[in-house]
Amino acid sequence: MSKTTSRPQSAAQGDEVLVDVTDLKKFYGGEGFFAGPPVKAVNGVDFTIKRGETLGLVGESGCGKSTLGRTLLQLETPTEGSITFDGTDVTTLSGSDLKEWRRNAQMVFQDPESSLNDRMTVGEIIREPLDAHDWKTKQERRERVLDLLSAVGLRDEHYFRYPHQFSGGQRQRVGIARALALEPEFLVLDEPVSALDVSVQAKIISLLEDLQEEFNLTYLFIAHDLSVVRHICDRVAVMYLGKIMELGETEELFQDPSNPYTKSLISAIPRPDPTDTTRRITLPGTPPSPRDAPEGCPFATRCPAKIRPEEYTHLDEDVWDGIERFREVIRERSRMDLGVTGLARRGVGRFSRFDDLEEAVSDLFEGVDVPEEVRVHIEQAVEYAKKGYPSKAREYLYEEFSSVCDREKPKFYETSGTARYSYCHRHANEYEDVDPVISRRTSDE
Amino acid sequence: MSETTSKSIREDLTQRDELSLYTRIANNPRPFFKWAVPMLVLIAVEFPTYAGVAFGMLDAVVIGVTGLLDAAIGLVSSGLSQTIRDAQYAVVGVLRDAGGFVDGLPTLFSREVIPNQGYQTGPNGPWEGTFLGLEPAYAWALRATLIFAYALFTAYWVFRGWLVYRDHYREADWTPTDDIVDNLSNHQWGKFGIFVLILFLTMAVFGSALGPTTVEQNIQSPYSERINYFNEDTGEVDQVFPGDANFNSKSKGSAEFNVGPMSYDDYGRFHPFGTLTNGRDLFTFMMGGARITMIVSALAIGGAALIAAVFSMFSAYYSGRVDLTILTTADGVVSIPRLLLLILVSAVFANHWIGNVLNGGFLLAIIFAFTTWPFLWRAVRGPALQVAQEEWILAAKSYGQQPRTIMRKHMFPYIVGYLLVYASMSTGGIIIGLAALSFLGNGLGISPPTPAWGRAISMGQDYVSGPSWHISLLPGLMIVLLVTGLNALGDGIRDAIDPEAGGSAEGEEAAAGGGG
Repeated sequence: MSKTTSRPQSAAQGDEVLVDVTDLKKFYGGEGFFAGPPVKAVNGVDFTIKRGETLGLVGESGCGKSTLGRTLLQLETPTEGSITFDGTDVTTLSGSDLKEWRRNAQMVFQDPESSLNDRMTVGEIIREPLDAHDWKTKQERRERVLDLLSAVGLRDEHYFRYPHQFSGGQRQRVGIARALALEPEFLVLDEPVSALDVSVQAKIISLLEDLQEEFNLTYLFIAHDLSVVRHICDRVAVMYLGKIMELGETEELFQDPSNPYTKSLISAIPRPDPTDTTRRITLPGTPPSPRDAPEGCPFATRCPAKIRPEEYTHLDEDVWDGIERFREVIRERSRMDLGVTGLARRGVGRFSRFDDLEEAVSDLFEGVDVPEEVRVHIEQAVEYAKKGYPSKAREYLYEEFSSVCDREKPKFYETSGTARYSYCHRHANEYEDVDPVISRRTSDE
Repeated sequence: MSETTSKSIREDLTQRDELSLYTRIANNPRPFFKWAVPMLVLIAVEFPTYAGVAFGMLDAVVIGVTGLLDAAIGLVSSGLSQTIRDAQYAVVGVLRDAGGFVDGLPTLFSREVIPNQGYQTGPNGPWEGTFLGLEPAYAWALRATLIFAYALFTAYWVFRGWLVYRDHYREADWTPTDDIVDNLSNHQWGKFGIFVLILFLTMAVFGSALGPTTVEQNIQSPYSERINYFNEDTGEVDQVFPGDANFNSKSKGSAEFNVGPMSYDDYGRFHPFGTLTNGRDLFTFMMGGARITMIVSALAIGGAALIAAVFSMFSAYYSGRVDLTILTTADGVVSIPRLLLLILVSAVFANHWIGNVLNGGFLLAIIFAFTTWPFLWRAVRGPALQVAQEEWILAAKSYGQQPRTIMRKHMFPYIVGYLLVYASMSTGGIIIGLAALSFLGNGLGISPPTPAWGRAISMGQDYVSGPSWHISLLPGLMIVLLVTGLNALGDGIRDAIDPEAGGSAEGEEAAAGGGG
């Protein structure tokens, strides 16, 4: 089960790969002398999309999935990495080559209110891509627009209406028609139904499925609604903080997730079965800032199955939880800007802004018997932070309590025979597997 | 039923060569002709006036543009600048010939058709030479009323043309513009603004027919032709130069030297606004000033709005360095004191012929445009940035639309409303600025003897508290009326494009909100 690869490969041979993404990175800012660290929206992503399939991309908001979709379509310039589309590396395209390529890949946007220009008629909106590419004659363009209108379930007389006069679902149909105008092979669907009523969602989803069959389309379906993803996608990629955590066949991934993050995500889906005993895994805290992503596994700060350092394996769950939460608090503090006054006060040894830390510590470890070996380190860290050096405290805690999860980036492990990959140290032979760890740790609560 | 309509739409769209307005009118010509025939009549009765205005503006534009080119290229090659000047003489010659020709054509509401300048044949005798022998005051009032009525009706008829298009020929049964027009037509304050604007545009276009006398006869060359008048001393009809008549009709602030509003002077000439300190007719002076004021402020605000629109869209679309460059430039321009620049440029170009285009107004228009665009740009940049964030811009990029087209189709329609609001409000400032320059005089502003509103105010300032109060007050009130009207128009447009903004204070905030 633990065959490691540097990147996931397409397993099923014979299926033609349409989109091949290699080590894609997209950072914002961070250039120039005074700039802070860059925001790592997409931080090294690998995957392939086969012709005709629907790849789902899920993750909580802010994890970089929309950025990934936009970067795939060259609406953002990638910082690093390559995107191969049908054999050509599109990151190297520019000018008229890029414009020509854009016919192949189109996008459907999340918010139908914002994605259609209210000052143009529906006919003009759908026709614009054709006009931009000088497609055939004017009559043929109009004919094509009418065909598209009927393909997405709208009527001919809607040609002269304005987007104002439509409902959200109808507007989204217009957006889909526009995306299809240039007969693309590949569509990025950026949360196409999340702004719609549930009853309308189903209609749009089935429309998308019909269109895929009719025009032999390949979809990248970005969503945070897991049930929709489970319904429409062939494979799913789960994203967290700019990284793909797990990738695999939809049904299998939902039935038996490998990665701790996927497990917690899927455990959060409400189940209508009252006899169901699966425990919901609640993640502590919030995702770290993408400016200050952990150096090892991105999920290390919240992972319910995090590997502990050798010397602390004997600690109680509660103590260890307290340590992790305390590290989180210190990380927060180290991101704070102390300001000129803060720095001045620190200089003369009168820094007092972090004096509340002791209280925080006693809250975190309330009712927990903290062994001496841990207590000294915590106190030392509090001391550093109180003097105004939270970064030093953070370093100190890192030195003392970090494990392989904090220090090293995991590899992609193929966790089943059907091309499923998971980004977690636990899949390596030397560590205990994810499932028993989680069930042991959560059962104590 | 929907089967047949959808079929016909498809046929309409795909089988006709062009989905042109012409074809749509040909299919249903009645409403069009019902509108177009009266419109043609309305234009035809005053065609020479419109043609004259058009030729005059073309003339000024040709001279102005070639003048700028000449000045710029003259630095590099004098031969080339000579060619430009030759071309300019040729074009201007043609334009002046054409202008002279249309000037000779008759118009319906001219002083020839309804004359008001005449003379009495006896102490209480009938009037000679006036319309139907009416008193000059009534003849003049009749003509002025007819002209204003005609202008208002023509403006309405133009609007009516849009309504006919909307109801009978437009393919879409509803567009966002409809809402704006409907909102504006329910906005009393905004309608007042439109009314005032039409009033002053009428003065600018029909100024020469509106005055009781002409700028030419009364102000520019008063010693070229004599006029008849009834001499009370001799009891006979005598002849006098208008210049000499002016000399004896001065308003100098004392009871014996004053010709007030709505009164006759000793030469049987009617003065609706009274006379100036030099005896010239104030109303004629104001009408002459209206044209130059409207042309200069239209040029200035048009230029400023154009620069502001282009720059704000560049700022918003490209952002980053482009935005920073424009920002720095705008701040640089704002930091130049406007009055100082005006004095400086007026002095530099004092003897250059470009300083004489439009009697110095062209140069003023350029300076006002140059100093006004940063304010408009700042006001419009906010809305432009907002539009640039919309997903339809991203969508347009995703199918490879040109940046130029994106700005024109997807951004400009959203900023043009704000641009109109701020432009109409800034125009007030330009008009006041122009008047202030003429008020200061000394080579600033429009060069005399061409009428300028500010000069009238300046002339009358010593007599404000006497019988000759009219000299300063009436021009001042006209400026106040025009500036208020423009502000009302701006308010109206703002409320029309964004009805939710509501009350005035809130609305201003909403409209200015993105400006920072």
